[in-house]
Amino acid sequence: MTDTNSGIVKYIPGLILCIILGWLALQWDQSIHKWQKDFQESEKILKANIKDGKPFLPFAEYLAKSDEKHKEKLAAFERGEIKEKPKKPHTIKEKDYETIATTKEIPFNFRFGERMIQFQLTYVAVLLLGGMLIRNTIGLPKVFQPGAVLARPIIKPGIILLGGYYLWSNLLKVGVFALLLVLVFILGTTVLVAVLGRRMKQDDGLMGVMAAGAGICGVSAAVAVAPVVNAKPRDFFYAVGTILLFGTVALFTFPYIGKALGMSEPVFGAWVGTAILNTAQLVAAATWYGHDALLTANIINIVRVGFIPIVVIFCIWFYVIKKATAEGKEQKINTWQVIKDKFPLFIIGFFAMVTLNELGVFTEDHRTIFGKQFLQIFFAVGFAGVGLNIAFDDLKKAGGKAFVIGFIAATLKAVLSAIVVMMIGTDAFKVK
Amino acid sequence: MAETKEFEDKAKKVFSAERKEDIWVLILAAITVILGLTGVITPKTFTSLFF
Repeated sequence: MTDTNSGIVKYIPGLILCIILGWLALQWDQSIHKWQKDFQESEKILKANIKDGKPFLPFAEYLAKSDEKHKEKLAAFERGEIKEKPKKPHTIKEKDYETIATTKEIPFNFRFGERMIQFQLTYVAVLLLGGMLIRNTIGLPKVFQPGAVLARPIIKPGIILLGGYYLWSNLLKVGVFALLLVLVFILGTTVLVAVLGRRMKQDDGLMGVMAAGAGICGVSAAVAVAPVVNAKPRDFFYAVGTILLFGTVALFTFPYIGKALGMSEPVFGAWVGTAILNTAQLVAAATWYGHDALLTANIINIVRVGFIPIVVIFCIWFYVIKKATAEGKEQKINTWQVIKDKFPLFIIGFFAMVTLNELGVFTEDHRTIFGKQFLQIFFAVGFAGVGLNIAFDDLKKAGGKAFVIGFIAATLKAVLSAIVVMMIGTDAFKVK
Repeated sequence: MAETKEFEDKAKKVFSAERKEDIWVLILAAITVILGLTGVITPKTFTSLFF
């Protein structure tokens, strides 16, 4: 994708590795979720039977009873007493039912699944932690490296497909708050880092890249701004190292901090959308937390990456035009050209999906296929790439005063945005 | 100076690669949507991929 056709072959091994790892992690995810459901059903069976003190119902009767309850709920739904159509109830297999009846205990694999879900060890965590572990212990052979890098943007088709879940009214409702958060925190951080850098007499190239990266969209923004502010390679790697280090720490800690603070899924989505600096990492953290968190985080992220051209324009003004004016020279900026060059195109796909959904093109099945199932496939391959690319050696490249400024600004943004999103509350950020 | 120029070119190249990457991403998403709308992929397709 990023090289000539003759170079495509070099991406294949790494890409295949990411697909295999993604499949394994999704298989794991499917299993633990099924076991968790089995666990919950087993608990109900045990409670019902132990309470009665009678012998366990035969399996056929258990199934018939469950079916009867479902029919009752369906009838209530048709009468309009229940808003949502009841789903088919989950039942356990006969073999497992017999085991529970004999031992009066929940089988080990069901308890294991429940525990794994409790610890949030879903496919997201397995891929990120597993990938990082592989990269930093046995290492990733060179033959896999280009493909593993290429796998990371495969998250983006998932982001586009998720657009099928929204209506324009959802986007506008959450979008207003997203815009406010982006304006206050993201652009605020960019300006703060730029001003602090000047005060602390840091190099313009370094601080320009850091301001863009710490404020908005991590590496993409740093790449977009680097040529504008005449960043040196060392500056660029310092800034990217700092951004990646903060993102990695945030990715693995924020879901647990969110749970500890009792954040609802939409509030957590709003928080990571604002506070984590890298698209892949924030999407991973939100997915880790839950689907509603992802729906909210995705809107904030779309608004945020849409602001990359604005940040570039600010950096041109702050580091080039303002400086030239102070030296008595005249410099002009072609705003439209900057917007055209730096606008992230994939956002258009997201908005196209929202429009198709608004026009009623998608059925519930389509939304499941695109926004849950294929989203998971794309995310799994992308997260495998993200995990395999977290190299401690890259993180060590962060350094100096710029690291301190970048890290303080990012931490400050994370703390303040957590307070603000919690104060605004779930209703404002809830997509549906 | 030469090093900076070389890096500038590299940064520009990376951004143009990101643009190409976005186009591929749009194509991949469009193919998935077309397959979904034409019924080639159904909700059962995903579950059939796993044990």
